[in-house]
Amino acid sequence: MKLTLYIWRQKNAKSKGFMEKHQLDGVSEDMSFLEMLDVLNEQLIHEGKEPVAFDHDCREGICGTCSLTINGTPHGPEAATTCCQLHMRKFKDGDSIYIEPFRAKAFPVIKDLISDRSALDRIIQAGGFISVNTNQAQDANALPVSKEKADLAMDAAACIGCGACIAACPNASSMLFVAAKVSQFALLPQGQPERKRRVLSMVEQMHQEGFGACTNIYECEAVCPKQVSVRFIAQMNREYMGAYMKNEE
Amino acid sequence: MSIVSYLKSTILSKIVMAVTGIILLLFLIGHTLGNLQIFIGREVFNQYAYFLQSTGELLWVFRAVMLLSAILHIVTSVYLKFYNLKAKPQKYAVTNYVKATLSSRTMIWTGIAIACFLAYHLLHFTFGVTNPEHTKYNGYVEKGAGLYVEYNMPVPELIEGKYIEIPDGKILFKQKDVYKMVILGFKNPFISIVYIIGVIIVGFHLNHAIQSAFQTLGLNHPRYSPSIIAGSSTFSFLIALGLISIPVSVLLGIIGGVA
Ligand code: FES
Repeated sequence: MKLTLYIWRQKNAKSKGFMEKHQLDGVSEDMSFLEMLDVLNEQLIHEGKEPVAFDHDCREGICGTCSLTINGTPHGPEAATTCCQLHMRKFKDGDSIYIEPFRAKAFPVIKDLISDRSALDRIIQAGGFISVNTNQAQDANALPVSKEKADLAMDAAACIGCGACIAACPNASSMLFVAAKVSQFALLPQGQPERKRRVLSMVEQMHQEGFGACTNIYECEAVCPKQVSVRFIAQMNREYMGAYMKNEE
Repeated sequence: MSIVSYLKSTILSKIVMAVTGIILLLFLIGHTLGNLQIFIGREVFNQYAYFLQSTGELLWVFRAVMLLSAILHIVTSVYLKFYNLKAKPQKYAVTNYVKATLSSRTMIWTGIAIACFLAYHLLHFTFGVTNPEHTKYNGYVEKGAGLYVEYNMPVPELIEGKYIEIPDGKILFKQKDVYKMVILGFKNPFISIVYIIGVIIVGFHLNHAIQSAFQTLGLNHPRYSPSIIAGSSTFSFLIALGLISIPVSVLLGIIGGVA
């Protein structure tokens, strides 16, 4: 395949970026999108040019590190797929492809296609955990969990924290991410002791990081590589209202 | 704690949007059903309008609630719009929406259009500013004669809402001829078109708004949500259709032949 690539280049966090055009030949349909970029980088290195920086780690769709907006869609055209798992057979010979970083004020671009998503880590630090005193593990049957609740909690926990929801949202709202984390714990017995405090402090942190307000357009759900449902946003709204009204702190 | 401190939380802001939106929607439903009575006839319609006018303090309480809801709805949405623009300062070179509907992405613009339309609507019919010649007509109901109505009688000294005896022994009751006001207004094709466009924009806004309010208030369930979304669209369509039917019927001469 022969491709025309338009790639966002930006030297560092302070500099202004621009779209750069590249021609790439000999791309195989079996390559993943990131392997295609590897080939481009080989070519750039041979030409003595600076390779394109992009984030990646597992390359098997589980870590949430890869973060490319391809033709305006975070993770590209294939539903429920991270861009590391996206294959070039999804594109046609002669295609033009626009590759940009995940964009949001809270995700500053630090180089080329890499944006700094540590805001999500700070939201987790604000409450996305349960406090457990380490000791001997208690008997598993002491905490009954219904099958339905366990399944639903698992659906929420499928979030890999890649930030595609934020990148896709015209408001850069992180509601789907926070909602997935809040719901995952709210659905399970282990999450109960810190339930109210958790939702209040995670939402507070989300505001401090500068993420936008949700307008229920559901673009987040559409691009989520793990298909996390917006029903968790509704659940978080309920959790938040309850916690806000009953907050004793 | 100031009254607008809820703006610090995007979730509370959304709840304010949903609740004020529902209040405004409930009014719109009542307004639509009430106005459709114009198809029953002049007497019924004028009687209905008179009933609304005669509720006294209740009318002012009602107007205050509507005004407050509208102000909170507008202030919150404008605040959130600027908040959101700040959260996404840089747009993509290529934009591509997978799921977001046009009506969901244009809420602020349809909202602004509705605010302008509402202002015009109030100036036209409620305050009689833009076309005072539409709002100056009165009707006279005869006491004891049920809904017998004599229009265009030259007894301008009658006081609205009071019974008075006229020389030929009849006891009359003066009320605004709201029916004639609507007919005169919509006989003007320019005004009718403004109304039709305004109402279509309202329907477009509601299409996203209704189902969005459910989501904001935490009502989302895989079993009900598809019906909520479909119901939201159908309902907005029906509201718009109901309201459009009035100017269209006037323009086609289906109602108002007498005016
Ligand atoms: S690199 Fe790990 S999910 Fe894509």
